[in-house]
Amino acid sequence: MVGTFATIIIIRDVFKFTQVSEYATGFRLWLILGTALVSAMLVSGILSMLVEMVAYRRLRRMNSGVLAPLISAIGVSMVLSESVRILTDSRPVASPRAMEKKFLGQFFDAGIRIDNTIIVVSALILFAVLITFVNKTRMGKAIRAVSMNPNAARLMGINIDGVISATFLVGGLMTGAAGFFYTLKYENTSAFIGFELGIAAFTAAILGGIGNIKGAFYGGLALGLLETYASFFLGTQWKAVTVFIVLVLILYTRPNGLFGEALTQTRA
Amino acid sequence: MINLRDKGAEIWENQGRVGRIVIAACAIAIVAALPFMGGTFLNTPIADYESVLVYPIAMFVLMAIGLNIVIGKSGLLDLGYVAFFAIGAYTMGLLGTKTGLNTWEILPIGIAMAMFSGIILGVPALKLRGDYLAIITLGFGEIVRIVALNLGALGRSEGIQGIPTPPGIFGIEYAFDSHRIYYWTLLILILLAIWMVRRLSARRAGRAWESIRQDEDAAELLGVPTFKYKVWAFVLGASVGGAAGVIYASKTLFIAPDNFTLQISILILACVVFGGMGNIWGVILGAVILGYLPDRIRFLSEARLLVFGLVLVIMMNLRPDGILPRKKREKAIVKKDAS
Amino acid sequence: MSKSLIELKNVSMKFGGVTALSDVTFDVKEKEILGLIGPNGAGKTTVFNVITGVYQITSGEIIFDGKSLAGVKRYKITKRGVARTFQNIRLWGDMTALENVMTAADTHKKSGLVSGLFGFPISRREEKRDKARAQELLDFIGIGEYSDRLAKNLPYGVQRRLEIARAMGAEPKLLLLDEPAAGFNPAEKVELAATIRKIRDAGYTVLLIEHDMSLVMKVSDRVVVLDFGQKIADDSPRKVQDDKRVIEAYLGVPEDAS
Repeated sequence: MVGTFATIIIIRDVFKFTQVSEYATGFRLWLILGTALVSAMLVSGILSMLVEMVAYRRLRRMNSGVLAPLISAIGVSMVLSESVRILTDSRPVASPRAMEKKFLGQFFDAGIRIDNTIIVVSALILFAVLITFVNKTRMGKAIRAVSMNPNAARLMGINIDGVISATFLVGGLMTGAAGFFYTLKYENTSAFIGFELGIAAFTAAILGGIGNIKGAFYGGLALGLLETYASFFLGTQWKAVTVFIVLVLILYTRPNGLFGEALTQTRA
Repeated sequence: MINLRDKGAEIWENQGRVGRIVIAACAIAIVAALPFMGGTFLNTPIADYESVLVYPIAMFVLMAIGLNIVIGKSGLLDLGYVAFFAIGAYTMGLLGTKTGLNTWEILPIGIAMAMFSGIILGVPALKLRGDYLAIITLGFGEIVRIVALNLGALGRSEGIQGIPTPPGIFGIEYAFDSHRIYYWTLLILILLAIWMVRRLSARRAGRAWESIRQDEDAAELLGVPTFKYKVWAFVLGASVGGAAGVIYASKTLFIAPDNFTLQISILILACVVFGGMGNIWGVILGAVILGYLPDRIRFLSEARLLVFGLVLVIMMNLRPDGILPRKKREKAIVKKDAS
Repeated sequence: MSKSLIELKNVSMKFGGVTALSDVTFDVKEKEILGLIGPNGAGKTTVFNVITGVYQITSGEIIFDGKSLAGVKRYKITKRGVARTFQNIRLWGDMTALENVMTAADTHKKSGLVSGLFGFPISRREEKRDKARAQELLDFIGIGEYSDRLAKNLPYGVQRRLEIARAMGAEPKLLLLDEPAAGFNPAEKVELAATIRKIRDAGYTVLLIEHDMSLVMKVSDRVVVLDFGQKIADDSPRKVQDDKRVIEAYLGVPEDAS
């Protein structure tokens, strides 16, 4: 699972692109948005699978420990983000406004904008789908089995390579969607966003507890809220510091994250 | 390449004390003479060859040796090593510009500051393991940079300017552009660091770190005070990073938060893993290659970093244990003296 | 009547809803070899774990050498004189056999990092002394010729014996052996039995978990039997073998008994 997060860092760099190529027209809005979202997800997902096959699979077979894939992931990240950078000439790319940012109404003091709503609702839907996938489907169970005990899984006839590919695919899909939402909201993107967001993703996963999807969800939520409040009260420059201090405090009281399982159980 | 290492180890192990001193002296002489080899194929296009030797190469080597203690020997994933480099540099910057102390006087202070922060980071962080430790150390590295970016006393984004160069020793001047003298200074520090690491590796500390890396729980159950030695690893690694930072600041005359990014932590990490974790010579080689490479391939200009990334991926897949992996010199050991 | 080296008094160990040990009381006398047996899952390894401090017991107390072990850090427990082997071998593979033993011996050194770095005489002395002692221990166990080989390259039988030598390296008063004969053939088991007796005669106290009944009965002075976390017998090997409860625990109750 460790390598997955590194990959996420990488993928974020690239997915934005798919979004950019869509035109904004007034009508058939949903169709266009839908296509953009799906293509963003697919590109990321497939890219993610390819990365696994090229950069990590061999290391996994060789049982190389955790650091070699990490460095490989860093290399991949550089390759991908540099490719994007070269293609975009190192400049941010503005995405055409795909839709009116209409206000739908008020909720207490907060205004509700349509793009934010779409994002939140879609994210929840995707999350629900993901949870169902992991918990209820055969592949989902296979994924969990492999993550808990790869050897036993193999002995039970599970195709490890296939499962890992599927895991990366799913990860890529999610990341692609995230990228889509980001560009939808902020309307520009560049080759460098991946890094920062990737670190945020990693942090959110740690916060929620590695190995736990629900945890990742709450972790992400907590992180987002934390960042926003920290920015608000202390100014944006202290945002990261506050977040990390809180992270330390949380890990102190709950060394496995909010919901996580211990990475290394004390065995004897 | 494996045969080269084993052969080298064999030769070394079979020497008596005198033989070893001769070999070491020759090696040091060759390395010390590197600045004179500029103008050959070793030249780098844009940056001045000798300048590159100092930074990034020598600095990276020094830092890689430090980080190797933490990651390579003890198996602790530290993603925020640049923090100690920064602390050393800023100590030099502040004290150098605000007090009358010179570089040599500030060096021990900078090292002490770095070691102190190693304790501050280590004590809470080392209660965690694996990815959790990684993220905390990453955070620490970022926090140091952000604090430097936002504190007026540290110059915010402009950093600190006008940092004094070291005073001359034995009549040798430390002018801003006399790269050689810095190179040799760093060389001395590197030799000291190597001495320290090798010394400790052969004794209790080395065994403690190795046992922690391989099976920390078993180590604890067989009497190794794991927490203490983990913190020591952090502190020693930090001391080396801090020393590098002091010299860096003293050479470049001005420093800014942008010099101390997460990218550097990751780059040093790459040196350690790429070169061969745990093996000090591997780590040095890794640092030399990864420090040298980006400047050497500048002719690729735009695609420079992309190629660098590719090199990382390819190397790790070909040699996951690094170029010179850790491997006990089992075959070469004929007789060991019980020094 | 020799005194008890370690006493477990009313020790219970609960993990959430699972009770691994329930009100277990027994002691190990100095220089005795105590066999700890019981069906799988009876709690034998848990006993090792609570003695060595891997888990803190939920109730009861453990007194070692007159002092309670409650709340004592694991490496300190080793320093006080308790060392163990592991059921699944947990040697430090990248270190030599000698280094594995020396690492355990380090726990009693007075010199540490600083004196090692600067080469203080005390560090050099202790290092030399412990190195010689480590080689002695390897020879004692019969694997002296492997001292410079990497632990991960050693044959299985040698590794198992290295585990024991390493634990002895910590100069323990109490040696906990966790299934030391696993995977041994009969001839090796006979050798092992002799080795264990040799260890006891050298002055160590041994607490032994083993599944091989004949080995346990042959080597132990006394046997404690656990079943489902409770002690069901505590007597000489002969008496335990004939104990009805023990037989039932292992073989189950015959079907027609009600």
